[in-house]
Amino acid sequence: MRQQLQRAFIGAIALVTAGSLAGCGGDDSAGGSGTTSSNENIELTLGTFGEFGYEDLIKEYEGMHSNIKIKHDKVGQGGPYHEALLTKLAGGSGAYDVSAVEEGHLSDVLSKPQLFNNLEEIGPKDVTKDRWLGWKYDAAKAKDGTLIGYGTDIGPLAMCYRKDLLQAAGMPFEPEAVKPLFATWDSFFQAGDTYVKATGKAWYDSNSQIFNAMQNQLPVGYVNKDDKLVIEENADIKKNWDKVTAAGARGQTAKLAAFSNEWNSGFKTGAFATKTCPAWMLGVIKGQAGPENEGKWAVTDAFPNGGGNWGGSYLSVPKQSKHPKEAAELAAWLTAPEQQIKAFKAKGTFPSQVKALEAGELLSTTNPYFGGIKDGELFAKMAQKVGPAQYKGPGDGQIQENATSPALQAVEQGASPEDGWKQAVDAAKRIAR
Amino acid sequence: MTALTVPDRRAPVRRGRRGFGDQRARFWVYGLLIAFLLGSAFPIYWSFLVASRDSGMLTEQIPPLLPGGNFFANASRVFDTVPFWKALGNSVIVGGVVTLTTVFFSTLAGFAFAKLRFRGRNGLFLFVVATLAVPTQLGIIPLYIAMSDFGWTGTLWAVMVPNLVTAVGVFWMRQYTAQVLPYELIEAARVDGCSMIRVYWHVCLPAVRPAAAFLAMFVFMTSWNDFMWPLIVLNAENPTVQVALEKLQSGYYVDYSLVLAGTTLATIPILIILILLGRQIVAGIMHGAVKG
Amino acid sequence: MSETIARPVSPPASPAPPRPPTKLTLRQRLSIADVKIAPWLYISPFFILFAITGLFPLLFTAYVSLFDWELLDETGTFIGLENYTELFGDAQFWNSLVNTISIFLLSSIPQVIIAVLLAALLNTNLRASTGWRVGVLLPYVASLVAVGIIFGNLFGVQFGLVNNTLEILGLDPVNWQNDRFASHVAIAMMVNWRWTGYNTLIVLAAMQAIPRDLIEAAVMDGAGAARRFFSVVLPLLRPTLIFVVITSTIGGLQIFTEPKLFSELPGSSNGGAQNQFQTVTLYLYQSGFQFQDLGYASAIAWMLFLVIIIFAIANFLLTRRLAASGEADR
Repeated sequence: MRQQLQRAFIGAIALVTAGSLAGCGGDDSAGGSGTTSSNENIELTLGTFGEFGYEDLIKEYEGMHSNIKIKHDKVGQGGPYHEALLTKLAGGSGAYDVSAVEEGHLSDVLSKPQLFNNLEEIGPKDVTKDRWLGWKYDAAKAKDGTLIGYGTDIGPLAMCYRKDLLQAAGMPFEPEAVKPLFATWDSFFQAGDTYVKATGKAWYDSNSQIFNAMQNQLPVGYVNKDDKLVIEENADIKKNWDKVTAAGARGQTAKLAAFSNEWNSGFKTGAFATKTCPAWMLGVIKGQAGPENEGKWAVTDAFPNGGGNWGGSYLSVPKQSKHPKEAAELAAWLTAPEQQIKAFKAKGTFPSQVKALEAGELLSTTNPYFGGIKDGELFAKMAQKVGPAQYKGPGDGQIQENATSPALQAVEQGASPEDGWKQAVDAAKRIAR
Repeated sequence: MTALTVPDRRAPVRRGRRGFGDQRARFWVYGLLIAFLLGSAFPIYWSFLVASRDSGMLTEQIPPLLPGGNFFANASRVFDTVPFWKALGNSVIVGGVVTLTTVFFSTLAGFAFAKLRFRGRNGLFLFVVATLAVPTQLGIIPLYIAMSDFGWTGTLWAVMVPNLVTAVGVFWMRQYTAQVLPYELIEAARVDGCSMIRVYWHVCLPAVRPAAAFLAMFVFMTSWNDFMWPLIVLNAENPTVQVALEKLQSGYYVDYSLVLAGTTLATIPILIILILLGRQIVAGIMHGAVKG
Repeated sequence: MSETIARPVSPPASPAPPRPPTKLTLRQRLSIADVKIAPWLYISPFFILFAITGLFPLLFTAYVSLFDWELLDETGTFIGLENYTELFGDAQFWNSLVNTISIFLLSSIPQVIIAVLLAALLNTNLRASTGWRVGVLLPYVASLVAVGIIFGNLFGVQFGLVNNTLEILGLDPVNWQNDRFASHVAIAMMVNWRWTGYNTLIVLAAMQAIPRDLIEAAVMDGAGAARRFFSVVLPLLRPTLIFVVITSTIGGLQIFTEPKLFSELPGSSNGGAQNQFQTVTLYLYQSGFQFQDLGYASAIAWMLFLVIIIFAIANFLLTRRLAASGEADR
């Protein structure tokens, strides 16, 4: 939209201010043309959010390439980061040469591949699909074949649970023994009934957390490969909906919206006994449950109906970049197994690269808070269980966040499952319009 | 002409008396005000409380009411994590410039709209007020395009220029000037041979000083707390305070004792400004009421 | 620069041949020019700046609202007024409009009343008056992170302080998040908490400018405190009250930060599970930046603009009548 807007903008300025703005006109030309000099030295900008663990790697890369200087912009939270990124993409300038995109926001940009360089074309030729887990790589491919980003980290799902609460309910509670409970969704909900009967307390945190995990295991999501909304046509979605809302109605849900204040304290108070658990969730649990609950939370390498993924990011190179080749090289280097292992050691970001998942440094890590379990090995195993990538059409992430999740919450608050379903479908249609 | 006095506005100076209330403040007044103040100050105190302890406090059923001993440890973590002093300097520059220009341009325009006659005055003034009614959420994209066309992205100009003067400021100063500045005073100054700008400087400005001081407080605070726009147009090397502090919330688990130590530190400069300008409101009234 | 214009020291003035008395002196002519030009000069900074930074976004929004235009698209498809007609049939839009007006009424009315009363209190002869004045502005200083957590804890449905207190008093807990009206009340409290001090100081500044002898004359006439307040003070505050009412109307109908902070899900623009407290600006933001429907979002922006203008005019007329008879500014 930029060119049109730019013309409109200059027209508007000229129209209104006529001659009175001479001073400003001078500034205009002075500022814009700073970067066009044909110097050998290149400055690359890198934008990330949260913790990617890249601080030392950047220095290392600059040491290897004396002509390249990297400016790293690090935003704390994903929300503001992606809003700023969208503004810059829409505004036509200012996006980082290497811009991180989170998995949940991928469907926001995947239908606009023209805004990104195809990394299969401009990236180093020795960087190929087999570097990553297959599903991770495929998820970043647009319909026209453009590879929008190189995978950085992932959030493979396992199950976390309160050992002490399961024990008190007379249920199996050791990591090996609980696996049958988490074999399928049916066994999961069945165990939930047992738990609720024994304790009168909730089994999981919220309907939407369970439903999202089930949804992502389906072969087709809310939007099919033709970018058509199929939430009504895809019978599996409604089936999952019925299962989850029925379990919630039987008292299995704690009705706590993920990341709300009461959800946070729920880890400490034992408001729910299980949690769908991507690798990064261990840090959340440790922080929220606090040192007094050390050893009470446990994690096991099982997940209903196989596996799943929640979270993780990609490094993209927007078309706006003036140095796409160099940017792609940097992105390729950062996402190489050797580097992602270092990032994992620095900040715990779980790598998405096949070789990194086999590295001794990863496989040997243990987590004392969770009873000294070998969490690196555990999540590496769960990463292999993630099914083929589900195509995320335009609006997919928005439908999960702003149509089904709120509707499931409404059901928890007393709406009937059918009314909730109607609410979800209506909202999805509005998003897809 | 500085000796100009307003006969009908001269306040008989009595000891310790201000305002029109003829009763001394009673105990219930203080009681109410204290309650109000406690309610107003609570979040700031609470932020300090969390900053002086650890985040575990947030999930406790009965939170403690006295500070712990971790504040300096948390504060020094803030200094280690973000370029706090650089950000502080930027925020002071942005806030200072924006406050000065807004107050200057707003009092000037307010004076013209309230007291000077010119064609289209009411229409133009209505236009100023109407611009307030336009929701700003979408304007961020075209504004970004404009700023990057000027080559200002990444510089403080991009944060300052859109805020050099605001419609709210013009509106407020126009209303206040209309109320407090009598035409006789302006005419007397004109008869004395004052140019318009001198009338503004020596007659209008002293009279509207309390309102200008309030506007300054408000503009500074707004500029200081602005987050999304600076985040979009600035970069990590050149942030404002709020942009820098946001980086403390990285990671899936947010350490609120660290975050709130940062916000507590960032509140201190504002409190200083508030107290300085708050005095101005009082001083301004004494001055403005006695002579023009 | 006007200073130089006004100074009567320009060299051509003295050696010039004597003029007929009917002609204006240079000084008089300069003075007239000064009177003519000065107003334009003084208001020009606002308009120049508006032309640079405000006008373009405005025209842009109006233009885009006629298109089916996605946020990241290079260009849109012209569809005329289709966005607007669709908006009229959009239940979520009407829902958000009702929410907005409800929250607006629950916040603005008490806010203005409390602000005037509190200003009257602050206008009495107080010790440490600067401290109190600055004190009422503190809510605006507090960081939004802290405000979000605190109000979340206050109005938490299961363990919130307000509900705990209600239970101690033997009352039923209120579902602050999911009950539509209760959520509006809670958000209005948040708005009032943040903005009452601001309006108080505005009214206070205006009150302090009221000439003392007017009040004293009323005292002489035997008017009681209440009567003095309503028939002397309020009319004199008219211009300021108009400002307060108009800006709180505009700000209240554009309410964005507080409902967003109030949401249980950090950063959500949904305004609750059933959009029960989604305001128009939240819906606008969600349509533009999340659903990426820029054309539609622009149409919402302009509809909201119209609504605001209608409310602002109505409130302006209302205020003028309430504080009538104060013609002090004429």
